[in-house]
Amino acid sequence: MTDDMAAIFREEVRDLLESLEKGLLDLKARPADMGLVNQVFRDLHTVKGSGAMFGFTELAAFIHEFETVFDRIRAGALAVTPEILRLALAAKDEIPGLVEGLADPEGRRGQILEGLQAVMGGGAVAEDAAEVAEGAGAAGIGAAGPQRLRFRLSGAALAMGARPELVLDELRGLGAEGIIADLADLPPLDRLDPEACAIGWEMDLPAGVTEAQVEDVFLFVDAEWKLTPAPVAAADAAPAAAGVAEAMTIAAPLAGTATDAVAPGSAPAAVAAAAAPAPAARGDQAGATIRVPAERLDALMDSVGELVIVEARLTELARQSRDPALIATAEQITRLAGGLRDATMTMRMVPLRSLVGRFRRLVMDLSDKLGKPVDFVVLGEETELDKTVIEKLADPLVHILRNAIDHGMETQAERAATEKPREGLIELSARHAGAEVLIRLRDDGRGMDVAKIRAKAVAKGLIPADAVLSEAQTFALIFEPGFSTAESVTELSGRGVGMDVVRRTIDSLRGSIEIESKPGLGTSVTLRLPLTLAIIEGLLIEVAGERYTLPMPTVQEIVELPPEKAQARRAGDFLDIRGRFVPFLRLRSLFDCPGQPGAAQNVVIVQSGETRVGIVVDRIVGTNQTVIKQMSKLHAGVRAVSGATILGDGSVALILDVQHLVGMGRLQGEPGQAPKEVAA
Amino acid sequence: MSIHDMHRGGSMTVVTLALGSQTLAIPTDLLREILDPLPVTRVPGAGALVPGVVNVRGSVVPLADLKQALCIPDEGQDDRSRVLVLDVMLGGEAATVAIAADAVHEVATIDAGAIEAVPASAHVWPPEYLSGLFRGAQGFILLPNLEQIFSNLANRPLAVQL
Amino acid sequence: MTKTVLTVDDSPSIRRMIAMTLQEAGYAVIEAVDGQDGLSKALAQKVDAIITDQNMPNLDGLGFIRALRQHPQGKGIPIVVLSTDSEEGLKTQAREAGALGWMVKPFSQDKLLAVMRKVLG
Repeated sequence: MTDDMAAIFREEVRDLLESLEKGLLDLKARPADMGLVNQVFRDLHTVKGSGAMFGFTELAAFIHEFETVFDRIRAGALAVTPEILRLALAAKDEIPGLVEGLADPEGRRGQILEGLQAVMGGGAVAEDAAEVAEGAGAAGIGAAGPQRLRFRLSGAALAMGARPELVLDELRGLGAEGIIADLADLPPLDRLDPEACAIGWEMDLPAGVTEAQVEDVFLFVDAEWKLTPAPVAAADAAPAAAGVAEAMTIAAPLAGTATDAVAPGSAPAAVAAAAAPAPAARGDQAGATIRVPAERLDALMDSVGELVIVEARLTELARQSRDPALIATAEQITRLAGGLRDATMTMRMVPLRSLVGRFRRLVMDLSDKLGKPVDFVVLGEETELDKTVIEKLADPLVHILRNAIDHGMETQAERAATEKPREGLIELSARHAGAEVLIRLRDDGRGMDVAKIRAKAVAKGLIPADAVLSEAQTFALIFEPGFSTAESVTELSGRGVGMDVVRRTIDSLRGSIEIESKPGLGTSVTLRLPLTLAIIEGLLIEVAGERYTLPMPTVQEIVELPPEKAQARRAGDFLDIRGRFVPFLRLRSLFDCPGQPGAAQNVVIVQSGETRVGIVVDRIVGTNQTVIKQMSKLHAGVRAVSGATILGDGSVALILDVQHLVGMGRLQGEPGQAPKEVAA
Repeated sequence: MSIHDMHRGGSMTVVTLALGSQTLAIPTDLLREILDPLPVTRVPGAGALVPGVVNVRGSVVPLADLKQALCIPDEGQDDRSRVLVLDVMLGGEAATVAIAADAVHEVATIDAGAIEAVPASAHVWPPEYLSGLFRGAQGFILLPNLEQIFSNLANRPLAVQL
Repeated sequence: MTKTVLTVDDSPSIRRMIAMTLQEAGYAVIEAVDGQDGLSKALAQKVDAIITDQNMPNLDGLGFIRALRQHPQGKGIPIVVLSTDSEEGLKTQAREAGALGWMVKPFSQDKLLAVMRKVLG
């Protein structure tokens, strides 16, 4: 174990304790909230699990009792009481000391454990004692004579990734001989199930091989197996002491590493993003977080970006030189640059939590001011984004939140006339989806009125009176500059400034906005944002000698373009991907490339949101680390390109905007729909 | 820093360059560096005015063709072609852009008094794109209004919606 | 051909420990912070094996495995579940959900590599 990891662990424990404390305090107010109980249990479980992994056995043992209490509460066998919460908070306060290896001269830990046991009725003590230190399994005793092993994979084993050839290799390692395949269960070929292994195997194993050893082989294979004494040598199962098998469980945590990790004061400081609003640091604990001015992180990221580009160039030169020493050095640099890149990006990640406090306050103020009681629920506030994204996200979210309460939420009188609860609901949720983060703001208000928005847009001259718009296109009109649906302009929502700023900001972050709304049921606004603005894994492709990069996380699969579609002169077409029709775009015609495509073209299937589209390219070049460079304002109008990157040979490759391409593919997929962008 | 400020300053230092058969002068204050021709990456759908991007020491910089903007006929490139990297203002923000030149002649100091207004009859060039001109040994030398040119370029409508 | 392993765990330290150990041994590692994240990452790119924790927010390990096995590209990827203590019931449930096997925390780096060799060859 490295110091680095110990530092990560300490950092993690601090975060978990923060969450744990919050959970316990919230439980005081809402003792029946199972969500909170689950969260507390999970936090404890993680501290214990990681603690045990990193050699903090004392910590793991201490938490075990604590965790058991919440496991029982979770199971409904115990109720949350003030006494449990008092003990839990006291126990939580002991954890930092355990992590730092501090002694407990006053015996507080013992008292807490006794208290917890008393709460559980004392019955849980004995059975728990051995659990944490589980390790040495039962040793087996090998048979004295030669043995026969038969096995057959269970039905789903292949689909689960089992590899019979590896199993056979391992058995050979145990001395298996005379391996025969048993084809008795093989069905006729027309009824062959490619996911089921119909073959069984039989073999001889030498004396001394134990059941435990065989079980070890089958630990990662779902199989039925039977070890019997070989038929020739008569069954003589004398309990021979020969061949005490090595136990197949877990090695104890590496000796020595544990002491490293526990040594007080030895922890190097972990660096966390300065933008994270860590609660006021308590005391001057060893291994505390260092706050770094944000611009230093930006400067570091810039340097890392340059390094990654130079590294790609070096790798290319090394490859051309064919000098093994140079190639090896270049590979080392690649690895180091990769590590540096990951570390730097991690430092820049900030949880959404850092914004939430401000939102709570805003919701409270607005709901008081407007006399609209609102329950504000936040889900996934631990979801992390690049700090630049988080910073720029604050204002758009405030605008959307304001809009939801001011316009979206009914007045109390209106709500009273419906079946809805008196208190309105506003839910902010965040989650990762591939290389994107989805942030959704949902309300249970009156929903958006398509007719009203349309009338307003016509009156404002934003669209012609006879414009044909889908529902989504109509909703998107609220992001047009100068649009406002409020009957009376309020102090809170302003004069229709704001929502257009929202879209501009989200666009500048390479994100997108989707609105769903049902009259009477509410509205949800989803922001789709890239995880990071700095470096992504890219798939490099080539069309007519020009190279482009696709963000790897959007790539689903790569297929060959069927020959019958190769020469079609239409702008696009469809592919049948396992029974689903996927529209595809020919980059060659889209980008107006000269020349004719070669014989074999590939289709890269990319996904944005729920929609997939195929992109026809000449050739797949490979994957690469893509340092994203913003396009200049002079190219801002080119929506199909989201950025650029510099390749190992020094040339520039454009990064394709998958979301935009998917949008083009979708338009193509709706016959009769003119590809015009109303809200562009 | 605009060329208009220079008028009061007495003199200004410029670099003169050829675009087709026309000579232009660009204040050296705006000039970051002069490079040999670089491989250009075409930006699909970007149009002829700013057709692509180039790699300038690790930065991706747009390459503009001023001949297109100033309606100067293209007379082909040879080994005298260069790329000029400039720092200009774009929509109120500093930005780095590159322009292609068919040749770079010299660095010269010109007297503010020598700068003339563009004659109204000179319809060959879009007047809003020029700050003035002065007489050199081989005829008129144009002083392009880079700020105006680039902000118009940034807001230009694109022919193809990509 | 470098093998890619996806590690799904809500604990950053365990994720890093797994990632560092595997990377040193020449595997490529993708990290995911919970089942949801794991699912989208496993579907977005080619993964040769998956190591997942059970107890995670948003979507737990078993839920993640079940969801993944429903996708065509989720079939055939060996999945190892990390369990703590003696969660005996979990082992059966994990198999039923579509896991290839499990590993009990705490485990050593050598053990982890041994398991990966067992699973990937």
